Amino acid sequence: MIDNFIAGSIALFGDPFSIGIFIFGVIGGMLFGAIPGVSMLTLAAILLPFTANLEPAQGVMPFAVIYCTGTYGGAITAILFNIPGAPENAPTAFDGYPMTCKGQSGKAVGAAVLCSAIGGVSSAIIMMAATEPLANWAISNIGPPEIFALVFFGLAVASSVGGRTMWKGWMSVLLGLLIATIGQDPVGGINRYNFGFSDLAAGIAFVPAIMGFFAVSEIFVQAEKKATGMYKAPKLSLDFPTFLELWSYKIAVLRSMLVGFFCGILPGIGATLAAFMGYGEAVRWSKNKESFGKGNLEGVISSETANNAATGAAMIPLLALGLPGGAMTALMVGVFQMHDLEPGPMVFYNSPELIWIVFAAMFYANLSILFIGLIETKTILYLLKIPFQFLAPMILLLASIGSYIGRGLVLDVIIMFGAGIMGFLLRRSGYSIPGIVLGIILGKIGEQNFAQGMQMVHYDVLEYLSRPICLILIIAGTLTILTGVYKALSYSLKS
Amino acid sequence: MSKLKTSHIVETLVWLTIVAVFYVYSFEFGQEIEIYKFGATGWPRFILGFLLLVTLGNLLHLYKKGSEAQHGRVGITDQDEEISYDGIGSIQKILAILALPLIFAWSLKPVGFYSATPVFIALTILLLGEKRIKWVLGITLFIYFLLILLFMVILNAPLPQGNISPFYDFSAFMLTLNTKLHQSLNF
Repeated sequence: MIDNFIAGSIALFGDPFSIGIFIFGVIGGMLFGAIPGVSMLTLAAILLPFTANLEPAQGVMPFAVIYCTGTYGGAITAILFNIPGAPENAPTAFDGYPMTCKGQSGKAVGAAVLCSAIGGVSSAIIMMAATEPLANWAISNIGPPEIFALVFFGLAVASSVGGRTMWKGWMSVLLGLLIATIGQDPVGGINRYNFGFSDLAAGIAFVPAIMGFFAVSEIFVQAEKKATGMYKAPKLSLDFPTFLELWSYKIAVLRSMLVGFFCGILPGIGATLAAFMGYGEAVRWSKNKESFGKGNLEGVISSETANNAATGAAMIPLLALGLPGGAMTALMVGVFQMHDLEPGPMVFYNSPELIWIVFAAMFYANLSILFIGLIETKTILYLLKIPFQFLAPMILLLASIGSYIGRGLVLDVIIMFGAGIMGFLLRRSGYSIPGIVLGIILGKIGEQNFAQGMQMVHYDVLEYLSRPICLILIIAGTLTILTGVYKALSYSLKS
Repeated sequence: MSKLKTSHIVETLVWLTIVAVFYVYSFEFGQEIEIYKFGATGWPRFILGFLLLVTLGNLLHLYKKGSEAQHGRVGITDQDEEISYDGIGSIQKILAILALPLIFAWSLKPVGFYSATPVFIALTILLLGEKRIKWVLGITLFIYFLLILLFMVILNAPLPQGNISPFYDFSAFMLTLNTKLHQSLNF
């Protein structure tokens, strides 16, 4: 492993053009992740055609780098503006934004920088050391029933955070699942709920929905406060957390690393579920549950460690099995195919140099978060000083461009603003926007794996539950739901 | 005693309508799939059934507790700040703020990004309360040129050009300028 890593590092830094691409990926990912309204996916979609003429390693590497630094960059907007740069940063906003409102933005951002770097670097090291054995384990132990069971557990966790009541938490998740049914069904390819719009046959694209629910709805919320004279500008602070302060959260960091890595390794799950589950576990094990959602640093730490820990792990199913773990890794499959490569076990034998350049680039990209991230963060914190009336049109336009670029459809921009209005109204009534987004993301994956799993066990539920990982996750999910229902009913019926 | 308000009844009716519309519409794609017992309707109908149950649970909560947040919930980022509108003016303003981006999005196809954007920026800044016209114009131009520089000049991103004259002609002019700039810089 060490020899391969050194060879990959030499190949990466031995060529000035590769260095240029690497630096572009690091800075581009951080900036596009950290500018409210656009995301790393916007940059990746724009870059895609430009990489067609490059060497395969130079073509694939920037996307892996953007994935690492963009996942971190999205935390900045989540903390400063309550606009997660990507769905995996949504739980970061739960505590990060209240910290900004209390004048502790520097502390939250500093913790995000450090924990993203720790999660990402450790994940990259495990990825380099264990891609092959982990892929073999995943092949023999993880199938559609396990993936569905994890989606089920993840949705149960998501419903327990975010909404004003458990009912609203579930209604949000179910709305997301319902939106995800628009488009072709994953088994028979039958068109569902296109309401006469042929462009809807491909379904609702993630990026416009995410931008609409997160960025546009937040702009509307703040605009409403401005219109009614209730707007308060967020407070700028540059006091980063001390080492001792962060050290006290070592258990939370370790737990989130494990959660993140486990979620990342499962095909189709990715960093979003990792962040939700990292956050959910932090709440579950905390003695001070009430403080979550009100500006608890542990919330930021758990979410950011978990989502970055998932980035390296998500490369394992992508490279070893050819299965993407999320939107960004799905895009990488396209990059591989553009260079006549098929991600999967053979890529290790056919293109080992490419694999180790990518691995080395991801390692250094995560490491660079720590250094470049701290410098960049101090600059980005000054965005808080820009008056809202000047920042808002910029964010709306960036979100419009980000939504349009993916498929080149004006309909996507309309959907984004529609989602923004819907999100604005739902937020006013106490629904959970991250819950809706997670439902949209996991809906198709959940349905597809449920269908495949059912076909595998010939619709025999007992056989389905005889798989140990599946059984544990289904029981955990069911207990989460039942506890939630019990708490909600006893609270509602209490006079 | 009931704490149900008219807004709660409207909220519940909206959810029930969603369930009903999606359920009725599911018969449009109810054909069988040979390899899959539950067909294309199984999953959405299960979601709708579950949604109906939690909507009724939510109605129970609204009836007993009104809009009150459930004790012990975490991650509620939207604080329970009651927004009070001080007159018809602020309601009109927020409605305009909500409508403007939709109008902008609808105009992208006929008018195009290059022509619609400056108008959208200026109107948004004005609606958000900026009254100094020099600032409105200055910031509009600054944001417009920043976006053009980043997405047109540097990234060459394809943006909607419009299909009505003179907007289409203006987009074509901008793109020609960009091509000439790239050629002169050997970019």
